[in-house]
Amino acid sequence: MALSTITTRGPSRPRRASGPLKLVASRLLFLFVALFGVVTLSFLLVSVTPGDPAELIAGPVASQDQIEAIRADLGLDQSLWQQYLDYIGGLLHGDLGTSYYTNLSITSEIGNRLPATLILIALSVVFAAVVGVGVGAAGAYFRGRWPDKVGRFGTSLFQSVPDFFLALILIYVVFFVLGLAPAPTGQIGISDVRPEKVTGFITIDALIAGEMGTFWSAVSHLFLPVLTLGLVYAAYFAKTARSTVGKALNSQQAQFARAMGLPERTVLRYAFVEARGTIVTYAGVIFAALLGGEAIVERIFAWDGIGTWALQGILRLDVPVVQGMVLVAGAITLVTYTLLDIIVGLLDPRITHG
Amino acid sequence: MAESPAPARRREPGLTASRWTTVRRLVAEHPGAALGVTFIVVLVLWSLFGPLPYDPRGTDGSASREGPSGTHWFGTDGTGGDVFSRVIEAAKIDLSLALAGTAVALVIGVPLGLAASTKGKGSQRLVRGLDAFQAFPLLILALALVSLSGNQLYMVVVAIALLNIPRYMRLLRSEVLAIRESRFVEAATAMGASTPRLIFRHLLPNVWGVILVQTSLTIANSIVVLSSLSFLGVGVSAPTPSWGSMIRDGAGNMSSGEWWIATFPGLAVLLCVLAFNQLADAIGDRTARSYR
Repeated sequence: MALSTITTRGPSRPRRASGPLKLVASRLLFLFVALFGVVTLSFLLVSVTPGDPAELIAGPVASQDQIEAIRADLGLDQSLWQQYLDYIGGLLHGDLGTSYYTNLSITSEIGNRLPATLILIALSVVFAAVVGVGVGAAGAYFRGRWPDKVGRFGTSLFQSVPDFFLALILIYVVFFVLGLAPAPTGQIGISDVRPEKVTGFITIDALIAGEMGTFWSAVSHLFLPVLTLGLVYAAYFAKTARSTVGKALNSQQAQFARAMGLPERTVLRYAFVEARGTIVTYAGVIFAALLGGEAIVERIFAWDGIGTWALQGILRLDVPVVQGMVLVAGAITLVTYTLLDIIVGLLDPRITHG
Repeated sequence: MAESPAPARRREPGLTASRWTTVRRLVAEHPGAALGVTFIVVLVLWSLFGPLPYDPRGTDGSASREGPSGTHWFGTDGTGGDVFSRVIEAAKIDLSLALAGTAVALVIGVPLGLAASTKGKGSQRLVRGLDAFQAFPLLILALALVSLSGNQLYMVVVAIALLNIPRYMRLLRSEVLAIRESRFVEAATAMGASTPRLIFRHLLPNVWGVILVQTSLTIANSIVVLSSLSFLGVGVSAPTPSWGSMIRDGAGNMSSGEWWIATFPGLAVLLCVLAFNQLADAIGDRTARSYR
């Protein structure tokens, strides 16, 4: 495919033809190198930092022999280099090791929990983007008037509130006082039966199984966590949208459109199109930041995703769990960034490739 | 606070105006930042020298989970500790750790950023590498560092610094690269200015504003990271009150109606972060005007 593109375009436009290809190739090469870096860092992170997992697992009363036995069992008695090679070797077979505490395979644990986290993050990003861009664009359009002032106040407030604190406030107000949301018991209520696993996404699985009660319960349990993360990250969208849409509305292009007598709606639409690239990039960056960044919120809502799992792993020094989390989150983030780079680069002819 | 907007004030053109008039005008132009700075100063002074109504580390079994009242302004927590005294006392450890982490990030990040601000291939690769580092779940990374080190307090400072050094480096690099192009740097180089002279007389004064803005934002961010860590039970440990651990103590009570235990320490975090964010905005406004 790569070759045919270059040959069919002929020698008349060799540079333009190789531009996008070069962009994709260089980004993919970078992705590969960076992924290797992520693997190495996730390995080093837990091997070099002080603190001995073997002692911790054995407990305070264990004898030196017992600790040595656990250490040999975990492969901690081997040289760092040998451990690294074993780690890479396992990785190539899709084996991320097993948890020190539960002896469950890290790969299958991640596979089981990732859907819960992904649906939470995806809905939060959508909510944040819709609310944030709306508020930001209104602020840009009515710059200096009351919608702008209210929007900016809300933006700076929600940008400063720690997500876990907002989660608690919302639990108190929406669940305890108003009774509009279910108790923070995870993806479904305590009495609800988990539907048979097909896709791993509880809402979809409930629909497939035809259990509407479970489906609505799952939807209502999504409400508060999505509201929490959505409000916090909407602030970032609002700030970006206000400046990019504002810039587009002040551009010569917008002035010209107005001078031509186009309706305000059209002018605003043009401004949106101009700001689109930045906002899409932002959505990707926030999606990546939420992965792992939402761990505390997951924990507060007893959400059974990889965030809760990783936090628990870290707090009891379950090294393979920490490694798995860092690896998965780092890899998904890098892939997201690379895709964004390529998409935005290909969409916008003004970006110089390479 | 060390990060008061003093340098911004010095840039004021009103040479004839008295210092008092200058301060009044600053407050009028940036009411949010002025309120924020006042809040931080009062909080710090009170936590250092002020009298507290109760012992912040004390417990009182007979007065557990009482709502806010005349005797306990912010109510009491599960062990009967006075929430108000604890919120004020916690400012000491929370703010000093956040400031320490920011200071380390500043001292290491700025020189590294200056050193990396060349157009060479190596420096571009370095920035790419920093991007990859930023791709990590940073909170998870900080948590792992602190808890794997056996919950050492200095590790909290190291973690905060590690998270923020790349930000300083990227910022400095992009700013300095832009300034390097300008005529006055070219002129200084042509006149044979040495590298230190170039850095201290020509580059640093021009990026000083951006550094201050970033520092204020970093302090705000560090307060959030710090309280997230202690909310999870990592970092500052039990007898010393910290906002994060107080929110953790009251988290379960939120769904049973005792809102005050977690809300007041949470508000303290929120207001501190808001204050430093507002301060950053105000410094940004003023310094941007003076050199562009």
